[in-house]
Parts: sequence; structure tokens; C-alpha cells
Amino acid sequence: MVADIRPLAAVLVSAVAIVLIIASHRRPNLREGWSVLAALTKFGLVVSMLPAVMDGTVFRWSLKESTGIQFLEGIDFALRADPLGIFFALLASFLWIFTSFYAAGYMRGLSEHNQTRFFASFAASLSAAVGIAFAANLVTIFVFYELLSLVTYPLVAHNEDEEARIAGRKYLTYTFFGGGVFLLAGTVMIYWLTSLVSEGPTLAFEAGGMDALAAAAQVEPVYAQAAFFLLIAGFGVKAALMPLHSWLADAMVAPTPVSGLLHAVAVVKSGAFGVARVILEVYGPGLIYDLPLDVPGIGEVGLNIPVAIVAAFTLTAASIIAMRKDHLKRRLAYSTTAQLSYIVLGLSLLHPYAIVGALFHIPAHAFAKLTLFFCAGAIHVETHTDYISEMAGIGKRMPLTMSAFTIGAAGMAGLPPIAGFVSKFYMLIGAGDVGGSYWLFAGALLLSAVLNIAYFWPVVYTAFFESEDRHDAKPLLEFPEGGLIQSYATTSDDESVAADGGEPADTSGIENEPHAADTDDYEYAVDKYPSDHTTADTDAPSQPTDARATETSTRDGHDDHDDHDESVAAVDHHGDHDDHLTGGPPAGGWPRRSPRTESTWLMLAPIAIIATGAVVLGIGPDYAVFLELATRIVEGVFGMPFEQLGDMPFGELMTEVTN
Amino acid sequence: MSSAELLLPLLIAAPLLAATLPIVLGLWTDRTGWPIAAVTTTGLFGAAVALASAVYTGTDAAPITHELGGYPRTYGIQLVADQFSILIALLVTAVATGVLVYTRQGGPRGNTFYTAYLLLTGGLLGITLTGDVFNLFVFLEITSIATYALVASGDGPESAVAALKYLILGTMAASMYLIGVAFLLMATGTLNMIELATAIPAAERPTLIRAGFGFIAVGFATKVAQWPLHTWQPSAYQQAPDGVTPLIAALVSTASAYAFGRLIVTVFGVDYLTTMPNAATIVLTIGCVSVLAGTALAVIQTEVKRMLAYSSVSQFGLVIAAYGVVIAGSSETAFIGAAIHLIGHGLLKAGLFLGAALVARSYGARTVDEYAGLAKARPVVAGAMAVLLLSLVGVPPGVGFVGKWYIALGAVQSELWPVAAVIFLSTMLTLAYAARLLEKMYFTPPAALDWPRTTEPVATDGGDTTVSIGMLAIVVIAAVGAVALGFAGGTIAGLLEPFLMEVFN
Repeated sequence: MVADIRPLAAVLVSAVAIVLIIASHRRPNLREGWSVLAALTKFGLVVSMLPAVMDGTVFRWSLKESTGIQFLEGIDFALRADPLGIFFALLASFLWIFTSFYAAGYMRGLSEHNQTRFFASFAASLSAAVGIAFAANLVTIFVFYELLSLVTYPLVAHNEDEEARIAGRKYLTYTFFGGGVFLLAGTVMIYWLTSLVSEGPTLAFEAGGMDALAAAAQVEPVYAQAAFFLLIAGFGVKAALMPLHSWLADAMVAPTPVSGLLHAVAVVKSGAFGVARVILEVYGPGLIYDLPLDVPGIGEVGLNIPVAIVAAFTLTAASIIAMRKDHLKRRLAYSTTAQLSYIVLGLSLLHPYAIVGALFHIPAHAFAKLTLFFCAGAIHVETHTDYISEMAGIGKRMPLTMSAFTIGAAGMAGLPPIAGFVSKFYMLIGAGDVGGSYWLFAGALLLSAVLNIAYFWPVVYTAFFESEDRHDAKPLLEFPEGGLIQSYATTSDDESVAADGGEPADTSGIENEPHAADTDDYEYAVDKYPSDHTTADTDAPSQPTDARATETSTRDGHDDHDDHDESVAAVDHHGDHDDHLTGGPPAGGWPRRSPRTESTWLMLAPIAIIATGAVVLGIGPDYAVFLELATRIVEGVFGMPFEQLGDMPFGELMTEVTN
Repeated sequence: MSSAELLLPLLIAAPLLAATLPIVLGLWTDRTGWPIAAVTTTGLFGAAVALASAVYTGTDAAPITHELGGYPRTYGIQLVADQFSILIALLVTAVATGVLVYTRQGGPRGNTFYTAYLLLTGGLLGITLTGDVFNLFVFLEITSIATYALVASGDGPESAVAALKYLILGTMAASMYLIGVAFLLMATGTLNMIELATAIPAAERPTLIRAGFGFIAVGFATKVAQWPLHTWQPSAYQQAPDGVTPLIAALVSTASAYAFGRLIVTVFGVDYLTTMPNAATIVLTIGCVSVLAGTALAVIQTEVKRMLAYSSVSQFGLVIAAYGVVIAGSSETAFIGAAIHLIGHGLLKAGLFLGAALVARSYGARTVDEYAGLAKARPVVAGAMAVLLLSLVGVPPGVGFVGKWYIALGAVQSELWPVAAVIFLSTMLTLAYAARLLEKMYFTPPAALDWPRTTEPVATDGGDTTVSIGMLAIVVIAAVGAVALGFAGGTIAGLLEPFLMEVFN
């Protein structure tokens, strides 16, 4: 432990930037300059600590030691840069650099309101995220975890319309329930438990688990288990573990840089990171394995099994839900939900290889998902298109963007040579090495790879291999679950009926409209997903009810499907503001643009760099620092060199680490 | 007799005597009230600080006491400044000084107002510093009477009704307390707190003591505005003049809650109450139910002042619940939590009501809906109120979090799981109404129809709508203080340590 101010400086850099950003609110260039400068400084500070941390030094700053102020009785407000902390801080601060360029391009491209508040909150979020990374004990991480919930709220509610407000409410409710209730309760319980034994009370993280907690768990096993699940639930909210995930999809109303860096990297990863802290440095794999939970009918299982089951369920279910999302950002959000569960699943398998895989998946997913979100944002800014069904042939218009999207999607599916492959590979080795019932988790990982392809390939396919006026139906999106009895590749009339979602009011509405003649471009957003239009119709008293009734009765066979699609429409077709009516290809089809002219460099350069990063991480993980850091973390947890870890049987490893 | 000891009677006597000055000088001029009050309260604050430094840095950690008139405490009146009471005295004098910054321009004006103001301050300091249970009743009454007058000084008949309601319930509560004290006197023959502490466990007729505790608990439950005895409080807070509400909301119930805590730990003694049947259960139930009921009622309010008033019901519920934990589990931690939450809540509510007064004055907004767009129109006051609200929710590092942490830790240490659950959930419940206001201020554009209001604000106080720098500054100071105190959790616990050693052993 070396006392050093740098962990604090890395946290405070962007907090100082907030003041400067607000102060220069009249001069946008200067304001964005502060963002970039803060990002670079933050990254520089983190990198300056990296070599020493790799050599085993831990930098530490504590409020009590430096000022004499005690935060709470017996609890210090302390930051420390250890391998796990620097791992997350490095990722967040590195990606912030490019995101600040991208955000400038995005917000200006859309002429968004309240940009100062946006950039200030963004800087604050990064402060809180790095604070979470460097937090040295449970109370400190709680402080930053709550602050992160708080400062990201203005970003979610940014649009200031009813939809954004509702999403913001939901966001606050979920994250504060996770932080203020579950996490705080868990922290208090850990403090109480460790005060029961002679080593405590303590809340400081220790690689391999707190000794005091291990001793206390022998005294009060039931409360130790309860505290474990409270902590996991607290962090699981941000990690979007089901059933606590639904805030994430709603939070997609935020501007895309927010969805990208915060709701795919900083915020959600802080949840996954917190789970890593709890599993590796609060309880420790050995204690989790040895604290059996007595399940009636099954017998005793380790505490990790319920977590792994939830994670496995989440990653499968979220992938399936993602397939039916037409709004691109929402599909990406469900993909995030699924991918975060990879991390949680890998951690909860407790095997060293699985943990390395899970940790490496944090940057692997971050790079790939950030690419995907950046692409979605670029498409939104340039063409105002948000819905996958309107993207047929968009590859012509945005060649570089869609190529980068393809790379990101391949990374999500875990295809070599993208980074996602490496992490999944390690996780599969880990799961296979334990064997037994853990094969089920390996199976879930493999199944999810297939599902990933199933929901990302259609996007790539429709962008590059279809054209505006000729494209196939999207059976998963448009048809009832289980499929239609008829073939969907018949006449275009049938297709139009199905594509409308089959809601009677819509059909009649469209038919009555004057432009019903131009059936050729029925793919237009307005015609196809007239959600605003739908509400108008439903509300309109002029709509003759008997007409509706006849419409419905003639199409009795589709009743179920109608209802269902209506509900999908209600959820699915709310995206960014002002999209949607203007989305889709222009009248003459997408113009062909070269990669240099498809958007501004402010957006294209970050996309290209981050996508390249995802490939670099996949081709040479040994040379990119993250894999090495991940193995260091695991070595610290298990207390032996990584090479030996693979040879050791799992059971022995678990007893070894307890001692 | 040291100089610090002399400060004790001075702290109480000075404001009471100074209260007569505005009336006397009012014979010649109408503008003397504010300067007299300002000088007095500033002096009181300085005296409290001096006394606090004497108490906290004192070598033997013994409380500073003063026997009035030199009569020994067995039958005379003793004033006590120990580590617990001086904390509250600091809060009282600081808030009393701070609120004056608002009233200078914000009103209400007039010399009689400042007479009541100083009377109230003196009464509150009396409650804080007295070491005699009957004397406590006297000061409770002084405080209450001053408060009735202040509430009634609001415009319109609603204020009179609110004051009357408060008068009836407040008098009932004081009578309850007095009956309880009478029972104690019957059982023990003394009224001094220290004497009682030794006499109560030795009392021959514990039934009298139990009855006394029951009456006292009900009396204070009313004074502190615990559900279902809270009904006087929302209308009193709402109908009182804007400049008065911060003072009342921050201090009056706080002083009563302090007095209740004092009676629990010093007079009855934690050990004695632990063995008293049902005492812990009753106190815990009152507190927990108030937390839940208070928030439920706060969420459905449309008026901001009323909403904050119900919020006080639930926040004091936390304090009372903490007392319950102290009794049930002999938990020092919960007591630290209660003390910090008393201070923190007082500061937060003073800041919030000052902010609400400012908004009403300059923006003409009194209901939650009217707060729409406040962040754009009044960024500083909106920002300060946001910080105060979030601190109230318990977002760290705010003072609300520190209090909640200790109370929750105490509940968990005592393994009172339902209480712990209520305390953890209270974060969410507080968030429910705090977020409502935050969302209105920051993410709701003002309705088009309401816009003329900002250009031509509704006159609330004699048509004067200007906001002085001082008014703004005092709200900001409250917000900064709320965050700064968030880092003082360890410090305050350390300051209370000698007192806790005394009463818990």
C-alpha cells in the first residue's frame, strides 16, 4: 500500500471539469474542450499508475489519513488503485476520450437542447464511475454507486418529454432500490457481521475475500448468506440481471452517447464490477463455495449457483426478447442485458478461467457494444432512422458505419477474431473444467452465441443485402409467435397486411388515407409503424365502433396476434424523440455515400477507433493490457500463479483459497 | 464560577429579556425588531459556540452545569450543557440566526413578530439546556405559545384555524407531559433529571413510573407530530408566514424530540426502560408507523410546504424509531444516529422551507405543479433545493445518509429486522416525493399558460418580490452545510462519545 493522491485526482478531474463546463456554457467549443481535456487527464492519471499496479503496488488515498476526518465511525472514506480497480478505471477513462468527441458530434448534429447540463452530467458520471472503480471499501463504493445513479438521471430524462420523464422515474426507482435499499442493507449487515468477530469490524476489500467475514460466516451463516444476496441484488440492478433489468431498455430514450458509454459501459459495468468486488474481494470464491445453501429437494449448493442460474436465465431470455425488438437501440439494450449476464455468470462459476473470461468480457463487451451504439447514433443523426425494418439498404448510405456495426455484432456473438471470442473461450474452458452441472451453464453460453447471431445478422443482412423497395418480411418481428400458417413470401398484399401489425384500425386508417395509392413505398415508417397514428385513431371518437367490429370479425383468426402486436407496438415504437416520422429511406432510396462523406469526423473517427480496438483486443489479447490485468486479479484472489491454477482440481482450489 | 458556566443562564435569559425590547422600543419606532433580533441571535450563536468548545475540549469530559440562584439541584433548577444538549443548542442558535437573513426583507415585519421570534428562541434553548423535568414543561409551554402566535400571524383565516388547532393539540400534549411528570414526582419525590435517574430504578411503585412514561411518550408523540397525532403540524407549517415556517419546522419539533431522547437516556435510563414491559415496542411502533404514514401522506400532497411538513412526520418517525432501537437493543449506534438525524433534519428542513419561501416570493410557485421549469428560471435556488432534497433522501455524502446509516446499523446490530426493513425502505419512500419535486423543477417545461406568472409574479408578501443576495446565500449555505455534515459522521460520533459512555454504562 502506497499513499498517493492519484486515485483521488483521477476521480476529481471530471468533477472539476463539471465546474468549467458549466462556467463556459456560452462557448460550446471551449466547453467540449474541457470534456476532452478532462478525459485525457483522467486517462493519463490512470495510465500513470498502471505499470506500478502491474508490479503489485497498490496506491491508496484515505480521507482519514490525509485530513483526519472520519467519514463514519470506524469506516474510512478511502480510494485505492488495485488491479481490479485500475482495470475498470482504465476502460472507462479510455473510452470516455472517444465518447466525448462523439458526443460533441452527436449533440450538435441534432442541435439538442441543454447541452451544458448534458456534458456536465456526463463528466459527473465518469467521476462517479472511476470512484466506484477505486473505492476501497463497501461504504465508499456505495457512495459513488448512489452518486452515479443520481448524475445519470438527468441524462436519461434529458428529452424532458413525458416518455423521458417516465423512463427517468423508472430509472431512479430501480437504481435507488438497488443502491439505497439492497446495497446499503447488505453493507450494514457485513459491517455488523464482521463486528461479531475479533478481526472486525471492517468493510475494506481484500483480494480473496475478507478474513473477518469468513470468520463471521461460521458464526452467523444465515445472515452471511442473506447479506450476500442483498449485495448481489444491489449490484445486480445496475448489471440488469432479470428480473431487475427493465430500466435499461427504457433508459434508451437518452441520447445515444449516454446509451453507449453509460448504459453499455460505465453504469451497467459498475454493476458487474460491483458483483466482481463482492465475489472476489468481499466474500471470496472459497467462502461462497463453502457456505452451502440448503435447497429443499436438491440438497446443498454453493451460494454461487443461484446467481449463476439467474445470469444464465437472463442471458438466454434477454437474447430471445432482443430478437423481437425493432427499435435498434432497444435491441442493443437487450443485448447488453444478455452480455452483462455473461460477466456475472463467468464470475459466479468461481473457476479461475471463468473469472478471467468474465473480467476480460468487461472490456471486450465495452468496445464492441460501444461501436454498436455509436453506429446506431450515427444512423440516427444522419438519417433519423431508428427502426431496423426501415434500414433496408442503408449500407449504401453509411458504409463505414455499417461495417463497424458488423464488427461489433460479430464481437457480441463471440466470433474470432473479435474480443468477445476470447472471453467466451475462457468462460467455456472454466465451465467445462468444473464439469458436472456446470455444463448447463456452458450450454447457455453456446446457445446465447447462436441467439446473438439470430438477432444481429438480420440487421447486417438488411443493411447490406437488401434494398429499400425489395426486402423480405421480418418473421420474428411481424408475425405472431409460432409463425403464420401461410407462407410469408406470397403476394405483396398479404405482406402489407402482416407488416401493418394487422391492427384493424391501422389498416382502415391507411386505406382511407389519400396516399393509399402509393403502395410501392409502404415501407415508410409512417405507414408501417404508425404508432402516433394508432393512438390518434384509438382516441378519435369519430372512429365508428361498428366498423372496427366488422374489421375485427372478418379477421377473427388473427385476433390473438392483433392484441399481441398492439402491445408490442405500444412498447416498441417509442424511441428517441423526433425520429420515426422522418425515419427510413428518402423517396428515391438511400443515396450512395463514401465513408468520408457519410457523417462528420467527430462521429466517424470514434467509431473507427473503437471498432479497431475491439479487433485488436481479439487478435492480440496478450498485448492489450486487459487480459494481463485480469490474470493478475485472479492470481491475487487465488494467491498462486495463473499457470498453476489450471492444473489444480476445482474442489481443491476452493479449499485452498479459503485458507 | 467559570465564565463558560455563566453562559448557560445567559443563553436562556438573554433572548427572553431581549424579547421585551422590540415592544418597548416600538413606542418610538417600528423598525427596531430586526436589529435587536439579529444582534441577540448572533450573540447567542457565539455564546453557544464558546460553550460548545468548552464542553468538547474540556479535560474531564464532564458536562458544564449551573444551579440557578445557587440552590442545590435536589430542589433548585439546574442547567446542563453536555455533549448532547450543546449540539442541539448550536443548531437552534445557528438556524435562528440564519432565518433572520430571510425575514429582513422577506418578512413578516413588525416588532411584535420579533418579540415572538426571540421568545421562541429562548424557549427552545431552555428546552435544550434545562436539567429539570418540570422546568422542561415551562419551556415547552413558552415555545408553544410563541409558536401559536407566530403561526397565527399568517395572512388569512386559515392561519387562525391552524394556530387554534395547534393550540388545542399542543396544550393537550403539554398536559400529558405534565401528568407524566406528576407521576414521576409522586413515585420519586424529585424533579431533577440526575436525581430522577437514580431514584427511578429504586422507586417502590414502578406502576407510577410506567404510567408516567406512558403519558410522557404520548405527550411527546404529539409534540413531535407522530402519526396519528400529527394533525396539527401540516396546517401549522403551511399556514405560518413563509419566514416563520423554516424556524418552526427546523426547531420546534426537533427540540421536543431532543427532550424525549434526553428523558429516555438520562432520566429513565436505557437499562430501566429495557426491562419495562412494552416500552420498546410502543416507541418502535410509533416511529415505524409514522415513517410509513408520513411518506404516504407526503406523496399525495400538492402544496410544497405541506408536502415538506408531512415529510417531517416521517423523518421524525426515523428518530423515534431510533429511540425505540436504543431502548430495545441498548444501542449506542442508534442513539448517535438519532442525534445526527435530529441535527441533519433540522438543517435540511430549514434550508428547504427557506427555499420554498424564496420560490413563493420570487417565482410565485406554491404547488408542486407550479415548480415546473424552476431550474431554468431560478437555477441557484433550484440547485440548492435539489441538494437538500437529495440529502433528505439519504444520498451520500449528505447528512441524511449519515443519520440513516447509524440508525440502520443500530437496528441491524440489535437484530430488529422489521425496523431495519422500514429504515432501508424509507429511502425509497422519501425518494417518492423528493423525485416528484426534482422532476418538476428540472425536467418539466412550465405550462404555456403559467408563463405570465414569472414575468409578473403574484405578490405574496406585500407585493415585494425581490430576492436579496443574503436570502439566496442562506439557502446555499444550508445546502453546502448538508453536504459538509455528510462527512462529519465520525466526528459527531466522536463528540458524543463521553456522553454515551456516561449513559450507556
